Amino acid sequence: MRLEIYQIVVPIISAIFIWGLASRFRRSRASMQEVVVGSLFWLAVAVFALFPDFFSRKIARLFGIKSNINAIIFFCLGLIFFFQYKLFFMIKKQQMALTNLTRKIALEQQPDKEVEA
Amino acid sequence: MIPAKDIAVMIPAYNEGPMIGEVVTHVRTCGYKNIIVVDDGSRDNTRKQALDAGARVISHPINRGAGAASQTGLHYARQQGFPYVIQLDADGQHHPEDMETLIAKMAEGRWDIVIGSRFIQMSEGIPQRRIAYNRVSNLLTNWFCRGSYSDSQSGFRMLNRRAIEKLNLGLDGFGYCSEMIVVGERIGLSIGEAAIKVSYTEYSMSKGQDLHMGITTAVNLIWKLIFHQTH
Ligand SMILES: Nc1nc2c(ncn2[C@@H]2O[C@H](COP(=O)(O)OP(=O)(O)OP(=O)(O)O)[C@@H](O)[C@H]2O)c(=O)[nH]1
Ligand SMILES: [Mg+2]
Repeated sequence: MRLEIYQIVVPIISAIFIWGLASRFRRSRASMQEVVVGSLFWLAVAVFALFPDFFSRKIARLFGIKSNINAIIFFCLGLIFFFQYKLFFMIKKQQMALTNLTRKIALEQQPDKEVEA
Repeated sequence: MIPAKDIAVMIPAYNEGPMIGEVVTHVRTCGYKNIIVVDDGSRDNTRKQALDAGARVISHPINRGAGAASQTGLHYARQQGFPYVIQLDADGQHHPEDMETLIAKMAEGRWDIVIGSRFIQMSEGIPQRRIAYNRVSNLLTNWFCRGSYSDSQSGFRMLNRRAIEKLNLGLDGFGYCSEMIVVGERIGLSIGEAAIKVSYTEYSMSKGQDLHMGITTAVNLIWKLIFHQTH
């Protein structure tokens, strides 16, 4: 496989950007959304630069479709990731609510407070 | 020095019936009367054992995890206005005598949190796997920190009023150990360490954490630190 110059430069640039995002995050300079979205974007850019033909061919063959279906597939993948993220977030919220409720009950029942009331 | 009456000794406990009475008694014989056991929805007789040994018991009606239990204890100490909290494990791994070391460190007046570290003077008899697990946890934790901590997973800690009042930890599980350090730094608490010893008894090993829990803990920690910037 012959490497074009861009196939080397683009991944390096991506790596630099991701590193920059990570270190900005560590110093609390960047929000998380920024870091995750940014990193995913740069990662995707790097991977596509490295294997431009590979992905489209593989995916088309996998689904037995020759036409340019990539966009649809990646859209679906994106959707799945989005819902996965939403679900995880919702579960965390529920867990937190449950813990807060548990804590409230525990603290209301503890003896010292009952005596006071 | 810090008088014993100013200190609440807080012990989160989950199914520690066989051991909790002994631990509470041991703490009492060291001269500490304010002992708070947070019974984390245990299915055994933890609550009764702790009460019989003379502790105040706060009970979670259902199990919520070590972090949730610890934060409930801090809430209670806050309500009751205790100037200091010392937290230690209910499984008998920690030596209540080491509380003096933490107290001495706290008395220096420079720290809001003092962590009892098993690794400052390598405590004897820690299984190799636990050491490895702790190394990884330290790496992960320290990556998010300005300071560098030798025992980020220690459950033996002392907090002053500033820490008790400011900390609101959100992780239910064991991730709270790291969370307390990272969040503590972010909200301006200063964190020191003091050397403690630890015993790995057959009893405590039978309840120890495994790889699966370690990974879950790490994922939860990263999630929390990344998606909830503050508090
Ligand atoms: N495992 C567990 N412990 C809890 C829970 N809630 C409170 N704890 C208490 O948290 C403390 C630490 O638990 P351990 O399972 O011994 O964890 P550890 O000491 O950090 O890990 P090891 O080095 O494997 O012993 C004990 O006092 C437990 O009773 C819970 O839901 N699960
Ligand atoms: Mg233990």
